Amino acid sequence: MKNRSFLFIIVLLSAVLLLSSCGDPIEARTDCKTKVGIVFDIGGKNDRSFNAAAWEGVQRAEKELNVCLYDVEPGNPTSIEPAMRAFAEKNFDLIIGVGFAQGPIMERVARDYPNIKFAIVDGVITDKDGKPFPNVASLVFREHEGSYLVGMIAAEKSKTGVLGFVGGMDIPLIHRFKTGYEEGARSINPNIKVVDNYVGVTDHAWNDPGKGKELALSQIEKGADVIFTAAGNSGLGAFDAVEKFGKGENGEARKFVIGVDSNQNMVKPGFVLTSMVKRVDNAVYNVVEEVRNNNFQGGFHVFGLDKDGVAYAVDENNRALIPEDVIKKVEDAKSKIVAGEIKVTDAMAK
Amino acid sequence: MGEIFTFALIFSTIRFATPLIFAALGGMFSERSGVINIALEGLMLAGAFTAAVVTYETSNPFLGFGSAIIAGGLLAAVFAVACIEFNADQVVAGFGINILMLGVPAIISAAVYDSAGSTQQIDKAYQLPSYFDISFASFLAFALVPICWYILFKTPYGLRLRATGENPAAADAAGVKVLRMRYSGVIISGLLAAAGGAYLSIGQSSLFTKGMTAGRGFIALAALILAKWKPVPVMLACLFFGFTEALVIPLSSYKLASGENIPVQFIQIIPYVLTIIVLAGFIGLSRAPKALGIPYIKEK
Repeated sequence: MKNRSFLFIIVLLSAVLLLSSCGDPIEARTDCKTKVGIVFDIGGKNDRSFNAAAWEGVQRAEKELNVCLYDVEPGNPTSIEPAMRAFAEKNFDLIIGVGFAQGPIMERVARDYPNIKFAIVDGVITDKDGKPFPNVASLVFREHEGSYLVGMIAAEKSKTGVLGFVGGMDIPLIHRFKTGYEEGARSINPNIKVVDNYVGVTDHAWNDPGKGKELALSQIEKGADVIFTAAGNSGLGAFDAVEKFGKGENGEARKFVIGVDSNQNMVKPGFVLTSMVKRVDNAVYNVVEEVRNNNFQGGFHVFGLDKDGVAYAVDENNRALIPEDVIKKVEDAKSKIVAGEIKVTDAMAK
Repeated sequence: MGEIFTFALIFSTIRFATPLIFAALGGMFSERSGVINIALEGLMLAGAFTAAVVTYETSNPFLGFGSAIIAGGLLAAVFAVACIEFNADQVVAGFGINILMLGVPAIISAAVYDSAGSTQQIDKAYQLPSYFDISFASFLAFALVPICWYILFKTPYGLRLRATGENPAAADAAGVKVLRMRYSGVIISGLLAAAGGAYLSIGQSSLFTKGMTAGRGFIALAALILAKWKPVPVMLACLFFGFTEALVIPLSSYKLASGENIPVQFIQIIPYVLTIIVLAGFIGLSRAPKALGIPYIKEK
């Protein structure tokens, strides 16, 4: 009996080892000068949102700049650091971390490998005195500005005067979306009500579409007819929620959702009013290009409305949903924000 | 307060309770036969993943639901072999299944859809249908409660299963095939837990995302203990947990008189605090099947 159970464990273990060891070894390619490694957030590279945008950017870089690209989708937060260190040990030219959660990890790794260049999306890495590391580019976005514009569109569209906001994790970065959205909506209708909910307080919050849908349904129950999501995979639940209410007699959806990070207009065409696009793809592409052309600069790279770092998406899926005069108003507000005439509150500013 | 306790809260409670009822009823069969089933979480994930993939590929939610149940049964069989055939520690083996199911869907999903994080989204037309705004799966879950009660307390099979969990040696002496009963209990738990998982991915939402059960398997286990391993109390306990989860939503956007939100951390601990209070204070002694967790080794 003892022997049999031992055998059983051996078989199981070797199966696990076999499964975990598949995939290309990192050294496989030698035909390129620049090696880029990217470590995704827990949501994974196909979340049709934030990670997907980063993935698009590095893929474009791979094609157009002839760099070698390796990616890791960490299974849990503890496998982020080993992945980064593996890239660093292999002397990669650039290591990209996606998501604020990787900030503290990258800080440790970047300190240990001062000759390797790093970039972090949505994170800020500084030493004790608040000075940025010379080998780390912190790619940050002025999400509140983009959210302000989609808030305006939402308020123009809303018939009930109630808007919803479904956030992922309850953290300052996500509050930044919410405050911008609310301010934008108020600029159109000062009496508008914004109902906000967050999926959770742990990183499960990005991966619970069922809960995301429940939150959206409860907001609709309270009268919300446009819901802005900033919740990764959980946000897709809100898309299901608005779809449930179908389209009215005029052929237009009864409830709308606003996508985030990537252009999500095509996820449920007709139900997506617009998307607050964060051009993570451009930011990531640029940093790869800088590394390849040897003009990489560490420190903060801020992407706001001015550099089209954030934007609202209009395409064939939603053009009919937003009237011309609304677009005009929004464009007007956009130039005022860029010029500094409208100040949007940044929930993360201390 | 009127804006918190609404009609919608009832529907929300039912939706939250549905996967818990499936999983807890499943856990009941396993534990009544004497096998601790901490693997409910992993079994649910297996069901959720299989349902999402099969439904996406075939555009038939019932085929997806059925395949999920079969997948859950197969995975439970692996767990059963470890625990029953090889007398592995049931808690350790169960955790092994849970950890395995965090990884396996990701590997398959990465290979098939080039994304470890989630599968493709399923069109609304191909999700499990709803009647009167309640999912097909919810009706099934509630219908299973009396059926499980009948099987467990009114059939010879149920009597043998319970005997196996209470006193396997006596059951054995009476001619009950103890190991076979335990196999059946564990496999039924896999079938049911996977149905709960399938509801999550193709009923409540429209895709599988990594670790999407988010601890619901463990909540189901807590409900099972709270309900003292009895079907009708299991349903009530699951409704209770579903209710606390549903209650969190309106509370978290509830404005105090001062116009401030209640800090979300306080609200999100409500389900857990209530669980501790109820488990510790109100139910009295919860007596587990006597032979729970003890491998049965026949005397030679």
